[in-house]
Amino acid sequence: MTQQWEATVSDEERPNEKARAIRARQRAIGRELRRMYDDVAQEQVPDDFMDLLQKIDEAAEAKKS
Amino acid sequence: MMPASTPAPRTEKAENPDFKTELLGLVPFLRAFARSLTGNPEAADDLAQETLVKAWQSRSSFIPGTNLKAWLFTILRNQFYSDRRRAWRQAPWDQEAAERIPGGADDQIYSAELSDTVRALRHLSDEQREALILVGAGGFSYEDAAAICKCAVGTVKSRVARARKTLIDILDGDDRLEGSERPPEGDAAREIMAQLDKLSPGEPTKKRG
Repeated sequence: MTQQWEATVSDEERPNEKARAIRARQRAIGRELRRMYDDVAQEQVPDDFMDLLQKIDEAAEAKKS
Repeated sequence: MMPASTPAPRTEKAENPDFKTELLGLVPFLRAFARSLTGNPEAADDLAQETLVKAWQSRSSFIPGTNLKAWLFTILRNQFYSDRRRAWRQAPWDQEAAERIPGGADDQIYSAELSDTVRALRHLSDEQREALILVGAGGFSYEDAAAICKCAVGTVKSRVARARKTLIDILDGDDRLEGSERPPEGDAAREIMAQLDKLSPGEPTKKRG
């Protein structure tokens, strides 16, 4: 593969090819990172968080009275 | 809009339900960012919860109409680094143990569940990782990411670029991801060179006089 590429691509074209390949890699990495992030963001929020906000609310109410 | 001259009276009754609802709506993103910083689901949720408490305590410093998500991410990031500093202060510094215990545990989680790309994140510096996550995964602008990381916009841009390049290098070349017992070659040498660079900034090492 690499040898074929070496043989068919002229010196002027090579940097473009390389840049394009790098951009493709970067897009793939971006997709992977977004997937990781979105997977967590789409999980159901554990009850702990609701409990915590409830407690915060109660504390705020108690302070007021 | 509030008048600029007179401070608005505290209207907690009116503002609290809204603020709380918005906080709740952003919890999924706090968890996602926390997970990417810590690499560990339990530690991430602890961090996200600490962030909620901190955010609530300092809610009066949030300026309505500005980016609440970026504000929360800033709190989370500060909390992450201050927790870690505290952990380091409490335990006497032991390089080997530091590498073995927390790194080992995180690496196991990473290798069990995640893709090569995500595992390779572990090998980025904190600065590069957070910049890449904020911009590349979290969808923040370079400007917002710079505000969250307390650095210049250009710095974020170069960190993101370097992070991408480092990830590609890791994914292409070396065996750090395979979980082999062999220590990664060249790391010690690179570390030493980096330290030498720090010791003599801009000093030419070859020719002198």
